[in-house]
Amino acid sequence: MANPTRVELEPAWVLHTRQYRETSMMLEVFTPGSGRIGLVARGARRPKSPLRALLRPFEPLVISWSGRGDLATLQKAERTGPGVTLRDAGLAAGFYANELLIRLLERRDPHPLLFAHYSALLEELARPERIESGLRNFEIALLRELGFGLNLGYSAQDHAPLDEDQNYEYQLERGVVPVAMEIGGLVFKGSVLLAIDAGNWTELETRRAAKRLLRYTLDYYLEGRELKTRKVYTAMLSSRPSSD
Amino acid sequence: MAYSPLLQDLLEALRCLPGVGPRTAQRMAFRLLEQERDGGRRLIAAMQKALDEIAECGQCRMLSETELCWICSAPRRDASTVCVVESPADVIAVEDSASYNGHYFVLMGRLSPLDGVGPEELGLHLLEARMDSGDVQELIIATSATVEGEATAGYLASLAHQRNIQPTRIAHGVPLGGELEFVDSSTLSLAISGRLSLRED
Repeated sequence: MANPTRVELEPAWVLHTRQYRETSMMLEVFTPGSGRIGLVARGARRPKSPLRALLRPFEPLVISWSGRGDLATLQKAERTGPGVTLRDAGLAAGFYANELLIRLLERRDPHPLLFAHYSALLEELARPERIESGLRNFEIALLRELGFGLNLGYSAQDHAPLDEDQNYEYQLERGVVPVAMEIGGLVFKGSVLLAIDAGNWTELETRRAAKRLLRYTLDYYLEGRELKTRKVYTAMLSSRPSSD
Repeated sequence: MAYSPLLQDLLEALRCLPGVGPRTAQRMAFRLLEQERDGGRRLIAAMQKALDEIAECGQCRMLSETELCWICSAPRRDASTVCVVESPADVIAVEDSASYNGHYFVLMGRLSPLDGVGPEELGLHLLEARMDSGDVQELIIATSATVEGEATAGYLASLAHQRNIQPTRIAHGVPLGGELEFVDSSTLSLAISGRLSLRED
C-alpha cells in the first residue's frame, strides 16, 4: 500500500470526524470501492470552508482523494442528494451502525454490497417504525459480507432444511443444530429462525430473538471491545420518558 | 537547534497555546526577552492569578472567579430562561449578539457516542438539578449544528420535556447578507423547514 493512490469521485459516507491540528479534520469514510478509509481534510474547520457543511455523517457524498499509506488526503467533496435527517433514536442507531463499521471493517477492503446495505439502512433510520428492522437487516448483511454469515436456513448437522416446530441451538461459526430442550442460551424455534433468515420482522418473537442472536454474534466478532455507542445509547434511553 | 536550555523550555511551554508553532513561539520568546520584560512580568502575574482563581460557576459552569458568575448573579436577568451552549466561548458569542437576557448552562462538550461521551461524561446532573428547581420555564438549546450537536439537542429536549419545561432550538438559516444561491443545501433545507409566518396578528 505504499504506492501513491488517487481516487476520483467515489461515492462515500462519512462515519466519524475528529479535529486534527488547528483547522483540519480527520475522517473515517466508507466507500464501495475502497471500503473504510482514513482521510485528512485540510483546512476543513476554517470558518469559511465549504467542507464544514459537507463532511458530516449521514450526508451522501462523492469524494476524491490521493495519498500513500494509511492516511490519504481529501481533495474534493460534493453532495449528491438531499441527505437524510436523523433524529433521536434514528440518530443513535446511525451512530451505532457507524461504530460497527469502524470496528469490524478492515481498512481498504472493498465492500460494494455492504455500502448499498448501509445506504438503504440510513433511509430506514429516518422512519422511526423501521429503525429496528433496518438495524437487524444491516447487522445480518454486515456479518454476511465479512464472511461470518449466520447460516440459519438449514441445519449445520445434516444440511436439512429447518423444521418449523423443532428447536435449534445457534452455535458460533457453525450455524444451527437441532436440540431436544426448549429453553437455554441460544435455543430458538425453527419457525423463528426461518423468519429471521427471510427478514420477516412482523412477529415480536422474531425481533426479540434476532436482537439476542445478533448481539451475541457481533460481540463475539468484536472480541471483547465494548461498543461505546451502545453504552451511551442505553444511558440516553434510561433517562427518557417511558413513552416508547 | 541552538537554543539554551532555558530558552528551549520557554519555547516548548509557549506551544501549549492554540495556533503557536515553533516559529511563532520563537518570535514570542525573543520579543519578551528583548523588548517586553515588563509586559512579560505582567503576563505572568495575570496568568498566575487567573489560573489560581478562575473556576466554573456553581450554577452554569461558565468560567468565573466568583462562586456565581457575573451572569448568574446579575439581578436583572431572566432566570426562567436557560440557554444551553457547548463552551464558554459560545456564551460570549451569544452575549455579543445582545439579543438574550436569560441565564446560561455550559456543557463543556457535547454528546459524542462514537467517542464514548455520554450524559454521565458531560455531567448533566447540574443542569437537571437546575431544571428540577422549578424556576426554569424555557430551555433554549444552542448546541452546534453537527450530528453530535443534534444528538445533544435531542437528549436535552427529552430532559426538559419530562419536567414540563418548554425546549426550544435556535434556528438554522441563511446568514445575513447571504444570497440563497451560495447557501449550502442542508442549511437551506433547514431554513425552509423552520420558516416563519409573516402574517401580522
